[in-house]
Amino acid sequence: MISCTEFIPAYSELFKFLEARGGRRAVEGFWEYLSNRFLGNLRSAVEERGLRGCWDYWSHTLNEEAADFTMELDEDAGQFRIIMHHCPSMGRLLELEHVEPYGDYCRHCDVLYRRVLEPLGYQYTIDLLQCGEARCAITVTSRPGAEGRRGQG
Amino acid sequence: MAKQVMHRTAGDNEYLHRDFHGALSAGIEYLHEHYGDEAVRDYLRQFARSFYAPLTEALKQRGLVALGEHFRRVYDLEGGAVRLALSEDELRIEVDACPAVTHMRNEGYPVARLFRETTETVNRALCHGTAFSAELLDYDDRTGRCVQRFYRSRS
Repeated sequence: MISCTEFIPAYSELFKFLEARGGRRAVEGFWEYLSNRFLGNLRSAVEERGLRGCWDYWSHTLNEEAADFTMELDEDAGQFRIIMHHCPSMGRLLELEHVEPYGDYCRHCDVLYRRVLEPLGYQYTIDLLQCGEARCAITVTSRPGAEGRRGQG
Repeated sequence: MAKQVMHRTAGDNEYLHRDFHGALSAGIEYLHEHYGDEAVRDYLRQFARSFYAPLTEALKQRGLVALGEHFRRVYDLEGGAVRLALSEDELRIEVDACPAVTHMRNEGYPVARLFRETTETVNRALCHGTAFSAELLDYDDRTGRCVQRFYRSRS
């Protein structure tokens, strides 16, 4: 059995395996598949509760992942932010002396969440400039009319 | 409405995100669908030989007690009823219900058709290059109930 605490190295290794089989497109194809199949809970949360759905979703995942983060929800301003001070996933990969992380590991967070949030009418930006130090920032902003798409699936 | 802020440090929570089992399962299913069943095994072998290299080295140095400690730690963390029987030449692990499969079933995540390979192929890969071998004596796809056996195959 692979423990859920060992998943991140397995995930990184899967990206390497896919790239060796089919290039970067194969990796991105998997990220799109995972976004479609695995992020239904984020999608439904945002459809039902708008930006608060982001808050609820990441409150669950980031606490279970023991992340070091600051999360902000400003519904009046139409903005949700995560400032990741130390990403538990990249942080763990960097700690492993005998395993090399997939070179573009952090970009899965761009593809997976953008694919959910933009079709719902939100602007999604991710700052990965410091991802090599396990730091990043995500901003989700309401576009005019986005909140009106809630519940339309 | 006032702005809400949540701040957490790594020490505030235990690292145990069980939904990752569902993501691994999705990865296994994706490989199966797009590259076939042998690709699933190739991937798991590659992962296990890389990530578990220190455990395999410990198996060489200390024998099955090292594997026993590893699996005791994993199942203690993940929960579930497990019985380990360890001797110098054999480690037998009886799992009443796989914690990963239980979580996926409870949360409605699809369980990959080849999810059993995360046990069978990984266990075999753990033994690669050692005096030990692994076999999966029994496995129930619905619950993950299984009997795993590691044994000395050469001196």
